[in-house]
Amino acid sequence: MDFTKQQMLDMYSELARSRVLGELMKEYIASGKISGAIHPCLGQEAITSGIISAAKITGLNIYNTGTHRGQTLMAYKVGFSPFIGEILGRTSGANDGISGEYHLTDIEKGLIPATGGLGGTWGILDGVAWAIKQQGRTNDTVVLAPYGDGAASEGPTFEALNIAMLYKLPILFFIENNGWAMSTPVSKQWPTDNLADRAKGFGMQAVTVDGNDICAVTEAVINGFKLAQECIPNMVEVKTTRWEAHFLGDPQEMYRDTSYLQHLDEIDPLLIHEKKLKDLGYADDEYIKEIKAEMAKEIEDAFDYNLKQPLPTRESVLDYNRLYSNNAGGEI
Amino acid sequence: MSEMILLRAHALALYEEMARDDKIICVGEDIGPYGGIWKTFSGLQQMYGDGQTTIGGRVLQMPMEEAGYSLFACGAAMMGYRPVVEIMYADFSTLAFEAIVDVAAKFRYNAQGKNSLPITFILPQGVGAGSGAHHSQSVESWYANVPGLKIVAPSTPSDVRAFLRASIRDDDPVLFIWHRGLMMGKEDVPDTLAPEDVPALTNAAKIVKEGNDLTVVAYQRSLAVAQVAAQEVEAETGKTIEIIDPRVLIPFDKEAMFKSLRKTGRLLVSHDAPERGGFGSQIITWAVEELGTELKNNPVSVCGKNIVIPFNKLEDYVVPNKDELKAGMKKALGL
Repeated sequence: MDFTKQQMLDMYSELARSRVLGELMKEYIASGKISGAIHPCLGQEAITSGIISAAKITGLNIYNTGTHRGQTLMAYKVGFSPFIGEILGRTSGANDGISGEYHLTDIEKGLIPATGGLGGTWGILDGVAWAIKQQGRTNDTVVLAPYGDGAASEGPTFEALNIAMLYKLPILFFIENNGWAMSTPVSKQWPTDNLADRAKGFGMQAVTVDGNDICAVTEAVINGFKLAQECIPNMVEVKTTRWEAHFLGDPQEMYRDTSYLQHLDEIDPLLIHEKKLKDLGYADDEYIKEIKAEMAKEIEDAFDYNLKQPLPTRESVLDYNRLYSNNAGGEI
Repeated sequence: MSEMILLRAHALALYEEMARDDKIICVGEDIGPYGGIWKTFSGLQQMYGDGQTTIGGRVLQMPMEEAGYSLFACGAAMMGYRPVVEIMYADFSTLAFEAIVDVAAKFRYNAQGKNSLPITFILPQGVGAGSGAHHSQSVESWYANVPGLKIVAPSTPSDVRAFLRASIRDDDPVLFIWHRGLMMGKEDVPDTLAPEDVPALTNAAKIVKEGNDLTVVAYQRSLAVAQVAAQEVEAETGKTIEIIDPRVLIPFDKEAMFKSLRKTGRLLVSHDAPERGGFGSQIITWAVEELGTELKNNPVSVCGKNIVIPFNKLEDYVVPNKDELKAGMKKALGL
């Protein structure tokens, strides 16, 4: 698929923004300003950025959840600053700083909450896709169901694939295979070479592409969206490398050969795309530096702004009208 | 008025609600031409279309995937539909636990209270057919510990009809739990139930029988047994017993119970579910906290045994029977 110069440059902006978000999240997790089980997306920027690029290029409305390292995609849906507000636990967060990362919800913007165990998420998105099909909206709307390789082994995953095929749903199942579910390698999760093989038993189309190449990811997702619009459920697996340990402070040397750390330059999605831009004469070092600085400022400003915002109050957390619809007023 | 069994009243409620609101969809196993295992979905797919093959179809016969179709229903509810999900046996809701507990119950809170999740899970529970350990459990206490759910547990055909309609209309996730041991129970049911006469889920308790010396709070099969036991205890002791059917467990109608206890000063709770960690313990806690020394005697609990439900008629050994209830009532009366 040929992308225009502008599309290629826009992809770089997305990559650069995602990188800064990952780096700053890592910094703020380390300093204790971000709590909870948040797993930085460093090194996997081509994946969420590729999905965002595909959405922008096609102009489609996308309903999706977040996933394990899909922070950039969630941030894209609710806005980077409200996303950062949420993970910092501030009232400026997209869900008042109360819901947190996985559970971030904005139905109007098409962000569906993921489940904490992750494996139930595809099933929810089947229901969303059924509603979109019933409402006759596939001309401009599809569902993207993102997972990591770990979640893709959960039982409800297979039930969701089955229902999607039986009901011919407008949905693209997307597996971000970074080789590791916490400390469990893919070789201990799945018996064949590609996780996309999961689709075969359901008669579902599937492709596996390089998850470090944003052009490959974007193209695969655009193709997947087209099939989904025709109510042909399909699957895209993207292969990448988990740069970080599972979580910050995870002693991954216990279970993983970390020699990959010496070769990050070869798999760095930003460097891969930078080289393409330079080879095509679309960008030089100065342009790249400028974009990185622009994105760093945007994300740094968002962190600074949100850190000054108040924390949720006890009253707002214990608001039973947030829990039940009938103005319960108190605990029921 | 027409005399009908509980299952027919259940079917009538679905039929009435499906006719009222085209956002209501039915999701479950065998609910197509077969009409569902309990025949409570009879004729609905013929009338309202197959949601698998037809745009506008509202009855979705699903493969045997409790997790898959319960999660699916949550997703459809997020998009504006009002799914009614039947889990064939309440026991099988173990496979739908994530959908009920983590998705449905928590959605509105995490969505800042902006979006509700109007979904009704129908859970047929309880002993009565000798079906053994995985087809006979009473499950309400599993879910009572989950904020965000409402739990409805009616006992009679009229109440099943009225409260199923109320559950479907409610904007929050509701577990509508009916008892299989009562499914052939008969009652005169009004031919029509006007929309304005559909009850709310709040203040739902019903005084089944008035009395002055003891308040019995019981539901479903245990309620039916308690009614017989109370008659005999009254005849034997000269005391009078008030029986309350809460009908809705969450939100529980505490005021109705407190009012009764202020009169009687004595409490017995009874349900089929195992006693330990059961909902009856919560009822007693509320009563003791509110009434304190106004209570004339310690509350008594007559609930299911803390053991696996065995096969066949042996199940009678593990749920409250008449003699146990009579003894419990006399103990609560201080006799």
